[in-house]
Amino acid sequence: MRLVRRWWPTVLFFAVVGSMPLWITDGYVLQLIFRVLIFAVLGIAWNFIGGYAGQLSLGHVAYFGIGAYAMTLSAERIGWNPWLGVLLGMILAALGALIIGSITFRLRGPYFALSTIAAAEIIRVLVQNQDELTHGAVGTNAPLLFEAPNLDAKFFLGAVPILAGAFALATWIHGSRFGYRLRAIRENENTAMAVGVNPAVDKLKALIPSAVFTSLAGSVYASYFSFVGPDTVLNIEISVQAALIAMLGGAATVWGPILGSIVLTLTSEIFKNYFEHTHLVVYGLLLIVVVIFVPGGLVSLFQRRGQLRRQAGPIGSVQG
Amino acid sequence: MAFVQAFLNGLLVGGVYALIASGMALIFGVMRLVNFAHGAFLMLGTYLSFYGWVLLGLNPYLAFPLWGAVLFALAVGIYWLLVRRVMGASDFLQILLTEGISLALVGLAQLLFGADYRQINLPIANRIASAGPLHFSVGYILSFTVSLLLVIALQQFLAHTEMGRAIRAVAQNRTVAPLMGIRVERVSAITFGLGIACAGVAGALLLPIFWTNPTVGAPYTLKSFVIVVLGGMGSVQGAALGGLLLGVAEQFTAYTWADRYAEVVNFVIFLLVLLFRPQGLFGGKG
Repeated sequence: MRLVRRWWPTVLFFAVVGSMPLWITDGYVLQLIFRVLIFAVLGIAWNFIGGYAGQLSLGHVAYFGIGAYAMTLSAERIGWNPWLGVLLGMILAALGALIIGSITFRLRGPYFALSTIAAAEIIRVLVQNQDELTHGAVGTNAPLLFEAPNLDAKFFLGAVPILAGAFALATWIHGSRFGYRLRAIRENENTAMAVGVNPAVDKLKALIPSAVFTSLAGSVYASYFSFVGPDTVLNIEISVQAALIAMLGGAATVWGPILGSIVLTLTSEIFKNYFEHTHLVVYGLLLIVVVIFVPGGLVSLFQRRGQLRRQAGPIGSVQG
Repeated sequence: MAFVQAFLNGLLVGGVYALIASGMALIFGVMRLVNFAHGAFLMLGTYLSFYGWVLLGLNPYLAFPLWGAVLFALAVGIYWLLVRRVMGASDFLQILLTEGISLALVGLAQLLFGADYRQINLPIANRIASAGPLHFSVGYILSFTVSLLLVIALQQFLAHTEMGRAIRAVAQNRTVAPLMGIRVERVSAITFGLGIACAGVAGALLLPIFWTNPTVGAPYTLKSFVIVVLGGMGSVQGAALGGLLLGVAEQFTAYTWADRYAEVVNFVIFLLVLLFRPQGLFGGKG
């Protein structure tokens, strides 16, 4: 009975989402919800390191791009099956996280945030300039992971298990000792060390799955839109989006990024129908509103006070 | 000779970097705030300069104090409305807030001005001055000179005026400063305004030798932070030297290696300095 009470919202949510291609036939609506799902994965993945461990990464686009490019280039240059390329992307993203993490995690606060941007930008500039390998600034076509017909529905159903996987991992982290160690690092790294937490190791442990899921999202996203280019899959806006989605919904909550992705994607879509260049204004204003008025995210509005304090709480309300 | 030319070109660009980074260093030093919106304000400066020239015929080299004043006022307004609320908060929220301000400004610029590249044709800036085998665009020389004069003026202001002393006091100790009768909020607002005016004026001075579009500022936020780190966090003199140094480093990369890797050099320098010399190249204490 407890099991039912605890899990019915999750089961209901995934049942409804998973059955959507059966009762939604409009390709545009499916595409829109597909984007919601992919960005929810991004937000959940960012949450591991940004929300729970409180490390403000603004370079997650690096892993997104690694996934997109690994799939595309391995198919194009060595003739691999794109799914194998997706796997390669996940492995490369994990390696990338290991390298970038071991450099940037030595830094704290703004230095860390900027070093993640620097790492992502180095990758972008390199990709942009290795024309022979990557097609440079122009970009190239990405291979399709599924075959026609009903591409919209197939991609949609491909995104659901990825989201479910990310969600399951988030649920586990949320209640595990590991999750509590990450929160300890977020609140005060020195104190965490004093009680026996090894921040260097735990931060890497959180970053690697975060990078792997981000890479997976990047592969599927690029394949759906059949394109990779430095201005799309390595655009710093994607890093900001990942952080914004998690913060908007609720950092260090399981449902927050899903809620954040729904709100952000739909809001920018609605405004897009009225003006051409509005998504940045929408992102900017939402970010400002969240930071100043609801630093606990939208989820915190639904929670009772005590519950909120235990689970989410504005990040870094205690100076680290 | 090309070597000397690259060095001098680097210095000329570096002068403008010095001004941008001095603003960043001032804000960081006094408010402990990393201003992720620095480049966005620089972008606003370029557009003020652009429309001033196109609509009103105001030469950017004469009108820059006006654009600086406009941005000062805007920044003080944004400080009172938004930035003030995160002054005691974590870096995490401060960075997200200034990033939000940046996105909103860039987005607004796209709405108002469109995403097109814009350029002005200022006769004096396009002239070439030659000294023997070396050739310089007069625009670069003018932008460099004005920028450096402003950096010196800022340092003199900080060193010798009552407000400058108050600003330095807050930078030294935010808790004790109010006990000395300093109104910290007011000092912070003015600091934020001054720092942003530096970025905006630099933008106005870049326009005649460059071009603009709504995202033109993005690289400058990172560049100025790289410079601030190079120069020792929060040191305005350090930032001025760091700016010149970065300008030269970029030009050398473009000259010896490839133009397109000049950007990478920024980031590599940034990571190396942070990891191995976090107190900056010129900073004394660690």
